[in-house]
Amino acid sequence: MSLDTLHVEQVVQGIKSREFSIEEYISQIFERIEKVEPKINALVTLNKEEGLNRARRLDKKIREGKQSGPLAGVAFSIKDNICTKGMKTTCASKMLESYVPAYDATVIKRLMTADAIIIGKANLDEFAMGSTTEFSRYGPTRNPWDISRVSGGSSGGSAASVAALECTASLGSDTGGSVRCPASFCSAVGLKPTYGLVSRFGLVSYANSLEQIGPVGRTVSDVVSVLNVIAGSDENDHTTTTNDSKPTYLLKERNGLRVGLVTEFIKGADSAVSKVIYKAVDTLEKQDCNCEEVSLPSVQYALASYYTIATAEASSNLARYDNIRYGFDMNPEGYEWNSYFARARSNFGEEAKRRIIVGSYVLSSGYYGKYYMKAHQARSLLKHEMENLFQRYDVLIGPTMPILPFKIGERIDDPLKMYLVDIDTVVANLTGMPAISVPAGFAESLPVGLQIIADQFAEQTLLDVAYSFEQAAKVQRSPDL
Amino acid sequence: MVVTIEEVKHLGWLAKLEMSDAELQRYTTQIEDIVNYLNKLDTIPLEQVEPIMLKKKFSELRKDTPETFEDRVLGTAYMKDGFVKGPRMV
Repeated sequence: MSLDTLHVEQVVQGIKSREFSIEEYISQIFERIEKVEPKINALVTLNKEEGLNRARRLDKKIREGKQSGPLAGVAFSIKDNICTKGMKTTCASKMLESYVPAYDATVIKRLMTADAIIIGKANLDEFAMGSTTEFSRYGPTRNPWDISRVSGGSSGGSAASVAALECTASLGSDTGGSVRCPASFCSAVGLKPTYGLVSRFGLVSYANSLEQIGPVGRTVSDVVSVLNVIAGSDENDHTTTTNDSKPTYLLKERNGLRVGLVTEFIKGADSAVSKVIYKAVDTLEKQDCNCEEVSLPSVQYALASYYTIATAEASSNLARYDNIRYGFDMNPEGYEWNSYFARARSNFGEEAKRRIIVGSYVLSSGYYGKYYMKAHQARSLLKHEMENLFQRYDVLIGPTMPILPFKIGERIDDPLKMYLVDIDTVVANLTGMPAISVPAGFAESLPVGLQIIADQFAEQTLLDVAYSFEQAAKVQRSPDL
Repeated sequence: MVVTIEEVKHLGWLAKLEMSDAELQRYTTQIEDIVNYLNKLDTIPLEQVEPIMLKKKFSELRKDTPETFEDRVLGTAYMKDGFVKGPRMV
């Protein structure tokens, strides 16, 4: 029996009913990793020995009839910018090459309490800055559907490991689309929750006011199962909501919703992509959804606003890396204070350096009002426009990415061209609203994702639409490898 | 707007980033492209828009009490007499 293809609920049920043991399932996962990882490069650290030991301990717990958690045995990859106690957390950067956290992120603690198993840490663009995973010091993660193409990013390792059956689910982080972009490129489901729904404690900060940790799975059901474990307030992250300290989401189909197709998103997409999205609209209409085109004029300022705020926050967040207490091996002997820092910090990769400088530029005296304040005003404008639309529509939709997964190396020398692909995803981060990418179909044999955005904390509506669409569209998930 | 090599060099110094001449050259051109794109923000009439103010009620912060970690938490090999060694100040 092939256990690596199972979804979260199937794994949990199979283990509960003693159809197979956790050890059998986890062993198959590691066999699969051994087979496909040389092609994909989705994982930067493997947790094989501890993963298998934990599987045996959990099997024993179940044999003894003790209560097991809601994710008992489920194999996860974790983006390598989420702290895991005793397991390296490198952010795919030379700067944190030897960093071993002394504590678990809140989301990891919650996964562990739910009896999940971490099989390894997933590749990403350095410090989550990128849309392709090409800015990782461990090399790019390749797209399982065509290994000459990018997997998307920055959580490319998370989405590719899920699509390539190297794990059953994954956690990524989404600052400007970093969960949804690779989910779209790899035909997986990826959710960016409402800002404040999931704790960021233990997530290595890139742009605090924009990012959220989000689940990646092969089905909407997988994402719901994981979200139910990780969502909820946390005393270690005061931006987590107090509205509902431990929300629970259901998996249910719901027809007849009011859907707005964002004109600016669909018009800005390549024709191969927009064709698939128009087909998705037909599918939703067949489910009695009322779909209309709507305009979101402020989208034209979204990317400039996003890159101003994100780089400003990044330049401040990355200032902490001085390589004194942790980092990589560089003897301070013989250096003067300033020269040591400048030398050590020259080990940031290209994109991180670029963003630190752009961030310092927009925050410079004389430019602060011109860029940073304006960016926040544009953010406010966008939020008001979205809130008005949600008076009339339950969800807004469009393509997750305006283009198909492109060739590795194609855009790496042109940072601005690379930034432009984030145009459809940054909106949800700037406004704090939840958004999900669901596989919509294929164009030129490459995956296309449908993005669904809902109002703040309207995750249940978002998941209802995503699940109903998934049930009707029946899009293939994992390629042959 | 023109971003100069001197500006990028100065920002690099402020941000404590050592850059080679080739890097400086490349970043200056790229950063100029990026900043020109960000100038889009200048084209909207934003005078009447207020920046986002937080209205949300946030959760209580944890109590600020010291915590002792069991394991060795520092990632550096450069220690002396129980203290972390850093570069000299002057």
